[in-house]
Amino acid sequence: MTRTDDRRLEASIARLLTIGTYVSVAFIAIGVVALFATGVSPLDAAPAFDLGRLPGDLVALRPAGFLWLGIIGVIATPASRVAAALVGYARSGERPMMLVSVLVLIVIAVGVATGVAAS
Amino acid sequence: MLIALAMLGGGVVAGVFGSLLGLGGGILIVPFLSLGFGLPVREAVGVSLVCVIVTSGASAAVYLDRRVANLRLGMVLELFTASGAVIGGAIAFLIDEQLLAGLFTLLLLYTIVTMLRRPASAPAPEPTTLPESGPSAATGPAAPAPAAPIASASGTFPAFIAALSGPGYAVRNLRLGTVGAVFAGVMSALLGIGGGLVKVPLMHLFMNVPLRVATATSNLMVGITASTSAIVYLLRGGIDPLVAGPTALGVFVGAAIGSRAAHRIDLRVLRLLFVVVLAYTAFEMAQRALGAGQ
Repeated sequence: MTRTDDRRLEASIARLLTIGTYVSVAFIAIGVVALFATGVSPLDAAPAFDLGRLPGDLVALRPAGFLWLGIIGVIATPASRVAAALVGYARSGERPMMLVSVLVLIVIAVGVATGVAAS
Repeated sequence: MLIALAMLGGGVVAGVFGSLLGLGGGILIVPFLSLGFGLPVREAVGVSLVCVIVTSGASAAVYLDRRVANLRLGMVLELFTASGAVIGGAIAFLIDEQLLAGLFTLLLLYTIVTMLRRPASAPAPEPTTLPESGPSAATGPAAPAPAAPIASASGTFPAFIAALSGPGYAVRNLRLGTVGAVFAGVMSALLGIGGGLVKVPLMHLFMNVPLRVATATSNLMVGITASTSAIVYLLRGGIDPLVAGPTALGVFVGAAIGSRAAHRIDLRVLRLLFVVVLAYTAFEMAQRALGAGQ
């Protein structure tokens, strides 16, 4: 990989992080506005995380739907950055960094498995 | 509505302070939510992790775009911070709330000492540089000449280390760095912080990474570290969306305000004010750890 390739990869990851963060925060902001509009208190019992309920909550314009979507976006953005790095390093044939990227994704997957197993 | 506004406002304050003092918002969010609104410390940690990822995402993009963060080094170390985060995320649900509050009190005391030991003008000390280092070593890495080949990352371990180094500095003590990174990950997951308090000194003092690069790279790593533990918290019901929403939005806005106001504010006064706030918070958290004021 040359410095130019590096520059390109870093710029594309920076764009991905910016877009992911701003889009996620936008969903959170919509959720907060909906929270104000509906008068729901943050100290009320919160709905549990349930991916199956998400589309229904969004269609019904419930605050929790937008808040969950934003939070999922926030949490997923760093992992997508690692996936983008993996693609970049694969294109340039930089095997050690490909391996590092894959291992980071595996650790994230272990985190998901740990959470699912305990839930 | 008032409670949501208070959380939004508290998030803004935490974001401003965190941005101005380079701490992220986590150190204030957990005590703010647990002492201010009576949330269990574990739940406050889950919310804080979301806030920390939000601030890291926005600033890491800028650091990467300006070529200050070291992506390769960050990815290697975050493999270990993320592993630590999985371990910490699992431990967090096993230990007692009071113990968690006690650990957070220790973190606050450590932060106070760190703040007081910082020089008044907070200059960015530079580590020793390679003999062939150019002027960029004094100001952080600059964009090198286009198409210059990077040290081959294949083959030997030294070649891999060389590929992790940047313009004007050579990474050292990678093994020590990986051990410290695991510790930073565990702390991040347990206490809802980015872990910069561990990672920046580790990279700067022991791995020969310039302070600016260490700070930027730590910021980049925060995203993966915090998101790995946030996944565990999310799936175990440790994140409250109604609390996380207004607080994270506030932190995001506060961090943006802080980064624009940094040059207009006397950081010495701000740091002293912050130390007073942290000292009071440490006292309150200690009381919670000891079972008083519940």
